[in-house]
Amino acid sequence: MSDTQEVESGVVIGIAFGNTTSSIAYTSADGKPELIANEEGDRQIPSVLSYLDSDEFHGGEAKAQLVRNHGNTVAYFRDFLGKKFSEIDPTNAHNSAHPIDAEGKVSFSVVEKAGKPAVNITVEEITARHLRRLVSSAADFLGKPVTKAIVTVPTDFTEAQRAALTSAALDANIQILQVIQEPVAEALAYAARDNFQTADKVILVADIGGTRTDATVVAVRGGMYTILATAHDYELGGVRLDATLVDHFAKEFIKKHKSDPRENQRSLAKLKLECEVVKRTLSIATSASIGIDSLCDGYDFHSTINRFRYETIGRPLFDQIIKLAENVVSKAEIDLLDIDEVILAGGSSHTPKIAQRFESLFPNCTIHAPATETTALNPSELAARGAAIQASLVSEFDVEDIDQSTHPMVTVAPHLSKDIGVVIVAADGTETFQTLLPAQTAMPARRAAEFNAPAEGGDVVIKFVEGGSVIKKEIIPPAPKDEDDSDDEEDEPEEVKSKEMKVEKLLAEALLKGTEKGQKIEVTVQALEAGELNVTARIVGTQNGVRGQVKA
Amino acid sequence: MASSIKIDSALPVFSGEWSAEGNFVSHAAISAPVNRKLEPLGPHFLAHARRKRHQRTFSEDDR
Ligand SMILES: Nc1ncnc2c1ncn2[C@@H]1O[C@H](COP(=O)(O)OP(=O)(O)OP(=O)(O)O)[C@@H](O)[C@H]1O
Ligand SMILES: [Mg+2]
Repeated sequence: MSDTQEVESGVVIGIAFGNTTSSIAYTSADGKPELIANEEGDRQIPSVLSYLDSDEFHGGEAKAQLVRNHGNTVAYFRDFLGKKFSEIDPTNAHNSAHPIDAEGKVSFSVVEKAGKPAVNITVEEITARHLRRLVSSAADFLGKPVTKAIVTVPTDFTEAQRAALTSAALDANIQILQVIQEPVAEALAYAARDNFQTADKVILVADIGGTRTDATVVAVRGGMYTILATAHDYELGGVRLDATLVDHFAKEFIKKHKSDPRENQRSLAKLKLECEVVKRTLSIATSASIGIDSLCDGYDFHSTINRFRYETIGRPLFDQIIKLAENVVSKAEIDLLDIDEVILAGGSSHTPKIAQRFESLFPNCTIHAPATETTALNPSELAARGAAIQASLVSEFDVEDIDQSTHPMVTVAPHLSKDIGVVIVAADGTETFQTLLPAQTAMPARRAAEFNAPAEGGDVVIKFVEGGSVIKKEIIPPAPKDEDDSDDEEDEPEEVKSKEMKVEKLLAEALLKGTEKGQKIEVTVQALEAGELNVTARIVGTQNGVRGQVKA
Repeated sequence: MASSIKIDSALPVFSGEWSAEGNFVSHAAISAPVNRKLEPLGPHFLAHARRKRHQRTFSEDDR
């Protein structure tokens, strides 16, 4: 493809559109997803627009106006998109332009032009303006026109919301090729880092953002993603963590000056912005200071807080995040032990304590977060990276191709309800279950594995079986103790859980005669869409093999 | 997809009488599958979509 053609067709970028922040990303010539900084140098661009003196401010500049120009500053609007006024929860917009009901549509009344009366701007129009600013930042950075995008949204975004997003984008001359789910984009960012290996696993994605937290259990089978369960908490996120700091410092201020900075709009807005800075500092440092001149009633405010104190006051919120994670795992009808990997996404996932809490809940898993994995990707960048990866994969597709590929005829597939595998002999002689195709694999699917011939050679039987994991609970009695501390909680019997694979059904047997010591046997299973199972077993390097079919 | 994983365990030795006719005997069908939605993103999904739309099998796709 020549350069001129590329300019004409425009670049496809990835956009993570958040309630709190948005990010833009592209895939570089060497195939790496890269975040794009806007004109201010921000990679996390606040989803905020503000109107002052006939000018439109965007991102960080707009967010700063929450102090002096909050009535003309529109923030936290993403989740209002595509909803009726009666369906929205306006709480988050309490300290910025209030959403109003304009004939059922969610709108914001702002003074857009100095000296003119306020006008109603619909949330669709605000979204279009926001996307236009993001795309123009991307085009400036890339030095090429940008006309197409892949956009991430939460898993509870309705069809109506997706349609409103696509039409808002069109108003801004941007064609959204595909609207994708945040947690899957976030998983894709890690998959790309790991060169798209196809290891089967079950991932928990916890996206801890500004106004909300979303948890998702995703089965990854042969590199394909199936969502098993989702859970949402719309009152849990960074804003709440900021509020705990606001309360902490407000109390300190009240003690000194007998006035509450939370009761004055401007003081509260200032304190909130500074508390957010303190919170971010505490993600990398063990203490942080705050200094606000003339915070309230003319008094300046200076103080410090250490991480331990912050983690103590934030604890109820950390508990709530962990609860949501446990809840989504039980909604997926699996055990915590069935989770192989945890991805922490969203800005609040920078918080070390949150990552540590996940580490205690999932002691045998990699927790992908900066505090628990040195090579972790930036949790604030995951959704945009995933979108940029998808953008590069479909950049040559036309809309019709994409529509066909995302049609239920293609996406809805029968998934195995049990693990399918073979019986193997462990080193100690006991028979165990080796999974080849795990439950939740979409059909058709094929897997092959190579096993050893028995140590002494001879005839081999390949038992194709179906089964699943069972959780074994073992109660470890408390250690003998002194009478004195008998009411100590530590002394309760401890329950230790472990996972074991159990054969539930024999599907078929194949006899492979005359194997020799040291030979390898290749076994394949292929589950067809209609439910048949094709199997083969073959001595590697020979013509000696068996094949058969188990009917549906 | 074509590559096979290596598992360092042996398959069981067969001893006794093989009562079936050939070297393969089918006992029971797999449990009923459940319909679920694949998320339409990533390289492996796009390969799946290509196979599905063109009615191709894995081995045809490998070519
Ligand atoms: N280094 C950090 N440490 C702690 N919190 C951080 C850090 N960086 C960003 N945050 C917080 O992350 C939140 C924003 O998260 P994110 O960018 O994921 O937002 P979002 O997805 O737009 O949010 P929403 O949940 O409102 O849709 C803010 O509350 C911000 O203060
Ligand atoms: Mg988010």
